[in-house]
Amino acid sequence: MGFSEHFPALIVAIFFFAAFLSPLLYRWARHLSAAYLVVTLVAAFGMVIALLVQVQQGGPVYYHMGGWSPPWGIEFKADPLRLYVLLVVIGVSLWVFIYALRDLHHELKKAVMGWYYALFAVLVGSMAGIALTNDLFNLFVLMEICAISACAIISIKEDRECLEASFKYLIMSAMGTGCFLLGVVMLYMVTGYLNYSFMQAELVEAFNHYPRNIFTAAALFIVAFGTKAALFPLHVWLPDAHASAPSPSSAMLSGVVIKIYAFGLFLMFYEVFPPELLKTIPLNEIVLWLASLGALFGSVYAMLQSDLKKMLAFSSIGQIAYIFMGIGFHHDLAMVGGFYHLMVHAVTKAMLFMAAGVIIYSTGIRKIEDLAGIGRVLPVTMIAFSIGSASMVGLPGTGGLISKWFLALSALEIGRPFFVLVILASSLLNAVYYMPIVINAFMHHDEFENDFKPVPRVMQACMIVGMIFVVVSGFYTTPVVNLLEQAAELFF
Amino acid sequence: MEILIGIIDNYYYMVAIILFVIGMYTMLTHSNMIKKVIAMNIMDASVFLMFVAVGYAHGSQAPIIREGADVIYANPLPGALILTGIVVAVSVTAYALSLVVKIYRYYDTCDYDEICEIRSRE
Repeated sequence: MGFSEHFPALIVAIFFFAAFLSPLLYRWARHLSAAYLVVTLVAAFGMVIALLVQVQQGGPVYYHMGGWSPPWGIEFKADPLRLYVLLVVIGVSLWVFIYALRDLHHELKKAVMGWYYALFAVLVGSMAGIALTNDLFNLFVLMEICAISACAIISIKEDRECLEASFKYLIMSAMGTGCFLLGVVMLYMVTGYLNYSFMQAELVEAFNHYPRNIFTAAALFIVAFGTKAALFPLHVWLPDAHASAPSPSSAMLSGVVIKIYAFGLFLMFYEVFPPELLKTIPLNEIVLWLASLGALFGSVYAMLQSDLKKMLAFSSIGQIAYIFMGIGFHHDLAMVGGFYHLMVHAVTKAMLFMAAGVIIYSTGIRKIEDLAGIGRVLPVTMIAFSIGSASMVGLPGTGGLISKWFLALSALEIGRPFFVLVILASSLLNAVYYMPIVINAFMHHDEFENDFKPVPRVMQACMIVGMIFVVVSGFYTTPVVNLLEQAAELFF
Repeated sequence: MEILIGIIDNYYYMVAIILFVIGMYTMLTHSNMIKKVIAMNIMDASVFLMFVAVGYAHGSQAPIIREGADVIYANPLPGALILTGIVVAVSVTAYALSLVVKIYRYYDTCDYDEICEIRSRE
């Protein structure tokens, strides 16, 4: 054991350490700063893989902060599902960060670049913490850190739209965390524990005596995580925030930040609440219906947009709904589908925002109708955009099909074919707004008229990596699906 | 009647919940950004009040163990947690206020409705 024993804590700690060091490095040894953060991300990725190997051989790993055992100390838990989410979060962050190194210079002032690195590190670290922690109050603190740093990587651009959007985002997420903490109080009142496992054990008993407290907490948690993950009627902050941010920030926010809260709600449902609660009141059903509405309305709103990034942001509302459907069906196949979508959508949406970023970098265009014929001057970007669109629609050969396939299968399995129709309808709606852009970009009869700058090779390479991943995830699904099925066994 | 007695016995929870609702309502409906930030603080404070109230039992004392004394101690954990919570709330407030300052520099107003009006005129 020895050093590797501390991996769960180190995965989080090295990011916070990097957040302190990278602005200093940026001031004193500028060329080292970015490299240092890349090394941190790679190291964290390596540690997650090492932990995953260890967990698959010997079962879940628990880590007690400072040696204080629960219920007094804070506990970190590493099981296959959490490590899978961590792999997605850290992998996508690393990929987006490499892209950001070239793209940020034209969106941000030079003086704030070091601070951007710091915020990026804090954001990734807090998300890693949210995925790993096994303690409700610790989760609250990490959620607030995540919210502030997520708002800050929007407002760092300091133009009017960004400031307004991040203020709106901050107020909405403050409401979310307020509700979350009130829910935690409700549960703490009847159990006296904050640790997930202890609380669940205690809640089974408490459910007979104080059901109202637990119902209130359940409602507050749905509002809290729903707001933060942009579940349908609580999504109002998302379009402005994700559309006005600098492109790498958009890729991070849409790609991974909203997913981590959906995962948080999943943990609350299956690791905190007693199993009887999910049988007594239709919590899953509520999430399922909100998700279905979100999948349809997100796409309808996206159709009405004329700004490319705003359209992608609205599309995120439709796509996060699939992950919530994975929770809503309360079935192991749906869980596999939902979490597969977590990975596929993280990569795809990040790639689409990168493509939008390249378009803005190279031509300065943000309006969809000006994109006609752009495929001739930016072929790699637009091919990436096409493959990303195909995955959003769920065409065969892309990862998007696999997750929808699993979701549809589980809808049939539990005997509710209506939701297959919802999935199909929302896929068709996706096609309605993604495909015209792709067709217009390549088949437009006139030449592209605007000026354009050549695209840096790093940005192109990032998009090629994304394309390869999206296609591979559509064919070679076995390792991820096996991992998720193994994880699902622990819950169903 | 039983519910009423329950409410009167636990009036501090009611106060906390009423404050929470006031805070949330103001935060979501008022157009003035400074008021939004103040309401956010009221909301946070109400949750903290409730959390601290959970740790107290009637007639309990500060949790400093004295040999031989037969007393009930208050639960120290909520207090410790709420200290952390206050720090978090302060940092969120500081960040929110700095955003309001920056927005004020662009628009010369902190009122959200007026900002929307200015933007729609452009």
